[in-house]
Formats: sequence, C-alpha cells, structure tokens
Amino acid sequence: MPTRLQLPQGASCFTFGEARARRALAARVVSVFEGWGYDEIVPPLFDDAATFDPSLASKLYSFTGREGATLALRPDFTSLVAKIAAGRLRQVKAPLRLYYSGEVVRYEPPRAGRQSEFHQMGLEFLGGGGAPADVEVIAIAMECLEAVGVTDFVVALGHAGVVTSLLDDVGLPSEDPRREAVLTALSRRDPRAVAEALAPAAGTHNDARLALVALAEDVGLRQSLEAARVALAESARAAEALAELEAVVATLSAAGLSARVTVDLSESRSLDYYTGLVFRIYGAGLGFEVGGGGRYDSLLGRLGRPMPAIGFMLGLDRLALLVERQGALLLEGPPEPRPVRGETLESGLREARERRSRGERIRFEAKS
Amino acid sequence: MTLTLALSKGRLLTGASALFARAGIPFPPQDTRRLIVEEGSLRFLFVKDMDVPVYVEYGVADLGICGSDVLLEAGSDVLVPLDLGYGRCRMVLAAPPSSGLADSWPTTLRVATKYSNIARGFFEARGLAAEMVKLQGSVEIAPGLGLADCIVDMVETGRTLRENGLEVIEEIVQTSARLVVNRASDHVKRGEVAALLERLKPLL
Repeated sequence: MPTRLQLPQGASCFTFGEARARRALAARVVSVFEGWGYDEIVPPLFDDAATFDPSLASKLYSFTGREGATLALRPDFTSLVAKIAAGRLRQVKAPLRLYYSGEVVRYEPPRAGRQSEFHQMGLEFLGGGGAPADVEVIAIAMECLEAVGVTDFVVALGHAGVVTSLLDDVGLPSEDPRREAVLTALSRRDPRAVAEALAPAAGTHNDARLALVALAEDVGLRQSLEAARVALAESARAAEALAELEAVVATLSAAGLSARVTVDLSESRSLDYYTGLVFRIYGAGLGFEVGGGGRYDSLLGRLGRPMPAIGFMLGLDRLALLVERQGALLLEGPPEPRPVRGETLESGLREARERRSRGERIRFEAKS
Repeated sequence: MTLTLALSKGRLLTGASALFARAGIPFPPQDTRRLIVEEGSLRFLFVKDMDVPVYVEYGVADLGICGSDVLLEAGSDVLVPLDLGYGRCRMVLAAPPSSGLADSWPTTLRVATKYSNIARGFFEARGLAAEMVKLQGSVEIAPGLGLADCIVDMVETGRTLRENGLEVIEEIVQTSARLVVNRASDHVKRGEVAALLERLKPLL
C-alpha cells in the first residue's frame, strides 16, 4: 500500500516560524513557572488507562501492553502528577510545586480550537490549601499571559461547591447518572434544559431546584456574589463555597486585579475531581478558553496521600493563536544563516567549526 | 466594543426583526442583499442557518439566533441563555401509514433526513441501528420512492407530510428560536452581552 501523505485527522505538526514561536512562548511561560519557585516534572507519555480521570475514558488512545495491561497515552497531566506525588515522590515533603510542559492526546473531533494532539503547560500546587494557594495560582496564570504580551484577558472564577451542593440538595448525588445532564445544561447556561434535566429528580428541595435554574437564567445572579449570597442563603454548603470564593475575589481586587476577574457561579468545569475554586481564562479575539484550572482537594486522598491541591494549565496552541490575534509579541527569528564554502571540504569544515564557536548561524556549503 | 450577531435569512428572520423592533434595537432591512451590515452598535452577519452556531462557537460572532434543531444537530459548544419563543416547530419521525412503524419497529431501518445526528441519537437511545440517508431537502418524497423507510424532519403544520402520503409516528423534540452566545464573549464582552440579554428577556 502506498504511504498516505496526509497526517491523521487531529494530529498536530508545526514547522519554521510556527514551531519557533511556540518554543519562544513556551520558554516565557516556563520562566514564569520557575520564577514562582516551581520545579519541572516530566511524567511518562503513557500509563495504566485506569490512572486517568473517568470523564476522559471515552477519549483515551488506549492500547494493550506486552503484559496484557490496558495502557493509554496521557490525556492530561493532573492525574499523572498526583499519582507520582502519592507514589514515587511520597518521601518528598509537601507542599510540592511542580510544573509540566508537553503533549497530550484525546480522541476528539477537531473543531473550534480542539485538536486530538495538543501541548499543555501547567502546574500543580500539591499541599497548597485555601485562599493563599488559590490566589498564588491565579496570579501565576495572569503573569503567564502578561509574559507573552497578552493584555486583554479575563479570568472567570467559580466554585465547584456552589453547583455540587445544590445538586446534592436536589437529590442528585455524584453517583446519579442524571447529574451529568444537569451539569451539561448548566454549562450551556440553558435554563430550559436545566429545568427539564431536574424534572425527574427525587428530592423535594425546591429552593435548590430554583437556584440551579436561576444560575442558568439570571445573568445578574451568576455574575454577582452579592446577589448569590441572598439567593443561596438556604443552602449552608453553597453559602460556604461562596464565602471561600469571596475571599479570593476580595484579595485579588485588593491587589488591583479586579479588572482581570469576573465571577461565574454556573461554572463547575467538566472533570468530576474539582472541589473548590474553578476558573477559565478567556482572551479578547479568541472564541474559546486559553486555559483554566481549579482545586481538587480529594484526589490525593483517594491515592493514599491526603492533601489539598490546586492546578491550572494553558493550551500552548491556543496561547499562540491568542498572541497572534492580539498582535502581542513580536518574535524576532534568528538571522539568515551565512554560507560557509571553503577551498576544500577540509578547510570548509575547519572554518565552519571556527565560526560556530563564535556563535554564528551558518549553512554548510563546502564541496569536496 | 461592538457586538457581532450571526443570523440566517431563513424562516426565523421575520421573528428576529420583530423582536428587535419591540426592543428598540436597530435591525437591518429584510431586503438587504449585503451579508455584513452595521446597524447602531451591532454588526449583523447573514449566514446559512446550520452555520450560525459555528460562527458563534469560533467567536467570529459574539451572539447568534438559530433554531434549537440546528443547535441539536451541530452539537456546538455555545451558551444558550434565551429561548426566543418564536419559530416553533416539531422535529418528528414520519412514515407512510403502510409502514407499520406505529406498531413495531424492524431491526434495521433506513432513514432519510437533513438531521442525521439528531436522528441517529433518537434511534440509538431506542437500541436501533438505523442507516442514515443524508439529504439536503425534499426529504418527504424519499419513502414513496423507496429511498428510505421513514424520515426525520421539521414539521410546522403537517400539510407537506399529508400531501406526500406520510403520517407522524413520533415527535422527537419541539424546537424554537434560541439566542446563542460565545463562551469567551460572555466574559470578555460581559457588559455588552448582559445588556442585550436584559433588553430582550422582558419581551419574551
């Protein structure tokens, strides 16, 4: 069979200026991570398929290892980093501040900024609990965008506890499959679909039911902590989640960052492991998020090393797109290579090595 | 910051024009041939109905108006905050009375439709592997000509179905015009988007 020249759908490939721009952007983001005292972790490319979050199960590129185990290429970093922290790194004292940069793959039909293969850069603050860790991670995320010259962006903050406690109140605990339908409808801010998805719920807790519909319906409510405090006063756990979020928003505002922050209480992100603050980062000119993150305080406990944790990641390809849209960073390529010819092949080689030692960019054109 | 709104020139345009008139928001004249029109503080894009959620998902348009049928079919990742209430229609499964589909379903079924994703989802939920014959229009003639056993299509009055010898077997979903919003615009242009939503909402 002849070689098919096109790459598989969703596969990524970058060359020349594009590849150079990505490397330059990645270097700036890494220097921000390093600057905040994070250390690099280079996790494996694949692991047991069971390591990864169940919500990604249908998107795994999985295969059978020689020993018969079902393995999968990594679809994200968080589960891997958490597992390594709970296993190989268990003797290293917490907190652990770790960052990563690499490709992940997910079986996903390519559309609006989605590829099957993409590059994530992010960090995990393992053992980082409460508001101090929350604001640290958000500040780092903001600095990453600033470091590549993106000025017009917003971090949309929510708290997973708001929505999940209302769902518990309404009688849809986390193992109930109908919960997913409500979350999907809510993530689309579709009040009709939320009401329909809630209709079969057994619970009689009508306040929670109304609050969930209102979160989708009422722009003012989902974007305002003051309005939400009144509307969600009935649910003690939702109120607690709001108070946590409020502390973070207040700190960011006091630090002069309020223009960069919006509140979205209907936000709970799709992965089930988020337990606290959740956020997505949007930039002007790009129709989809450039990154996001959140707090996952129960994941490490499930792995036998209980501690709070928060992380975030940026999609390098989306970041490159955003930089391009905002005309933010003028990347100067290296100079044109200068030819080295020489009288003979031998003298050409000597000249090339000599000019290379001076750091010149050359193109070797000596003839024998 | 101006907002960009994607619309289709199909059956939902009159309703959109009437709604915007009631809200006191300038709207392009319906007979314009231009595909990009600036009107007041809004920029209007006229595109194919199936493309409205695509423009919005990619953020080329901040908002759009399209039928919920189009949204279900395209499966686009957009916000759907307002049911605009007009353009009500039904998506139905229809077949000739002789098909026997009203009583029992065969193990395999050939379905003619413009909405192959919706139809596939409908049959899969019932454990049926149906074969989709994707057509762009005039779906109603397919069963009579032996191209398919049944159709999945939009019905307003049911007259076209009757005149082509079809009856409704089951209603799949009720549809209406929806206002859709891009996820990033919802935050980056928060003030403008919220103001437009708040002006339209009391009118629905």
